[in-house]
Parts: sequence; C-alpha cells; structure tokens
Amino acid sequence: MRLSVAAAISHGRVYRRFGLSPRSRLDLLRNLVTALVRHERIETPWARADEMRGYAERLIDYAKRGDKDERAMRMADFWLTEKDLIHKLFKVLAPRFQPHPGSYTRLLQIPNRDGLDRAKMAVIELKGNPLPPLVRPRRHSDKTLLNQLLKGYRQDAQRARG
Amino acid sequence: VLVLVPSPLPRLRALLQRCWGRLERGLWPGVFGGQSPPWGPALAVQGPALIPQGISDTGTPSLLESVVWMAAPKQRRTIEVNRCRRRNPSKLIEIKRNIDVCPECGNLKQKHVLCGYCYAKVKEETRLIRMEIYKKEGGPFNAPAVETVVLYEGEKPTEKDEGKRIIERAKKRPSWFVQN
Repeated sequence: MRLSVAAAISHGRVYRRFGLSPRSRLDLLRNLVTALVRHERIETPWARADEMRGYAERLIDYAKRGDKDERAMRMADFWLTEKDLIHKLFKVLAPRFQPHPGSYTRLLQIPNRDGLDRAKMAVIELKGNPLPPLVRPRRHSDKTLLNQLLKGYRQDAQRARG
Repeated sequence: VLVLVPSPLPRLRALLQRCWGRLERGLWPGVFGGQSPPWGPALAVQGPALIPQGISDTGTPSLLESVVWMAAPKQRRTIEVNRCRRRNPSKLIEIKRNIDVCPECGNLKQKHVLCGYCYAKVKEETRLIRMEIYKKEGGPFNAPAVETVVLYEGEKPTEKDEGKRIIERAKKRPSWFVQN
C-alpha cells in the first residue's frame, strides 16, 4: 500500500515554483510587488504576473485597514523592500481603492518576448493609474446592421405584446 | 592447537565442549576483540593453484561473444508508410483561427492578446512620462505620497487635480490618451 504521493504528481497544488527555493520564490514575488507599487504598470512573464497578482491584491486589502493596524504595517514592511513606498501604499493606494470591493489590478497578455525564449509576457497594472490606457473601451455603435435588426425585432415584440 | 583439559567434572567438560563448538563455528564474536582467532592451519600444504578454466586458450575472443545485441530495423520503410507517419494530423502544425484585425491600427493581432503596435505606442509614451517623473523626483526612493496626473501642452489642472503632483509633457495630447 503506497503511503506517500509519488514525487512527480502535483494534483491540486495552487502555487507555482519559481527561483531556487521557496524563500527565493517569495523574494522574487516581493520584488515584483514593490515594482508594481512604485511604477503602477510592469511587464513580466505571464506566470510571474499571475502569481504576483494575488499577493498584490491582498496587500492592498491589508492597507485598507489603515496604517494604525499593527498587522497591516508588518505586512507592508515585509512586502515593500523600498520603504518610501509604504507611505505611498497607505496614503495613495488605500484611499484610491476604498470604494472598490476587490480586483485592483488588471492583467493583460502581450505578444511573446522578442528574445530567444519567446516567453509568454503580460502587463499588470493597478487600476486608476495616471499612465496612458492600454485598451481603449469600444463604444458599440447603434448604426451597425445587426444592431438595427435587433432594434427592429425588439420594437416588433413590444408592439405585439402591447 | 591442541588443548588438553583435565576433566574433573562431567558438567564442566560438557560446558567446555559447547564453548569450543561455538568458537569453532564463529558464534562467539566478542571473544578475541573482533580480530581473527589466533589459530591457523595445523598443516600447510602447497597445492596446485585451482583456477577455473573459463577463458578459452585462444588469444582473441571470437566476435559472437564480444558484441552487445541491439534493436535495428529489419526492412526499409516504404515511402507510403513514411508519408502516413509524417502527414498524420497530430504531427502537422495546428492552424490558428484566433487571429483578428486590430480596430485601432489595422495590424493583425490574436484575439486574447493586445495589439503589438498599439502596445508599443503606449510603452514609448509611458517611458517618456517616467523620464519626466524621474527628473521631477531628482533621485531614487523619492516616491511622493500623493496621486499623479499627466498634463500635455496647453492644459490647465482642473479642480479634480487639486493636491496631485503634476507631470508636464511638452507635446500635444495624443488622440488615444483621453483626459479624465
């Protein structure tokens, strides 16, 4: 009877493996979180951005508690290696995201990296940043053929009901 | 080594015989402190060396004994069989059906990926804005504790931009960067 899981099976594991060790993985993600808080938009491999997104959003949730909270301050102190960003986190980002209940970041895929590895890259940004927007919201025009047909159908249905 | 032991009592003799038997068989390892027992063969005979005659007397081993057996194809694969294997759908390159035209610039893009041209434009503009920010901050680790707003040529800060740090760009506002 096999009492231990075979080494190559990883069913149900949610955390990806980065770097040289678990500690190195946390350091890597910590650097990315610091860069995101500083620059508000960064371009990294998709897997790292995806992994870092959860940590960044939880950090902002902690920051929303206020800087008098002991746990929030300890979290910010660990996750932000550049200490001037702690002020930015509590004074700029926490008020900015106070009305939002969640999802403070946006993750979008960009074309593969130009180097030899052709890695899958993504750009992750905090919502409400002052930089130019990545995606322009398309306004759906009412004048297209399909929309005109649907409008006609809706009017007919209303007339038949009334 | 011959040991003569006087046997005053039959019990002592039996005990000594048992101990001797255990020593002979090696079932008493602690007696000589781990070393071999001091007795050797009573009679040393110089006998002929008994080497098993495995290797034949011929000098070079024959070919059939030194070769390692490995798998090899028996017949040439015909071109029909080769074509079937090479052109099997699982080996062909999959055609992508998720390529579209970007509505802004008209370049091709994948449906779930940002347009490369539009992203390069935005990246260049952010680089220039960040250069201005760096010039304003003066040095590293000087991130301000206020929001930032970017204003182009001929724009005045509105009442929404009060209390924010203003970054000026000496250029006309691009059409795709809509002011909030």
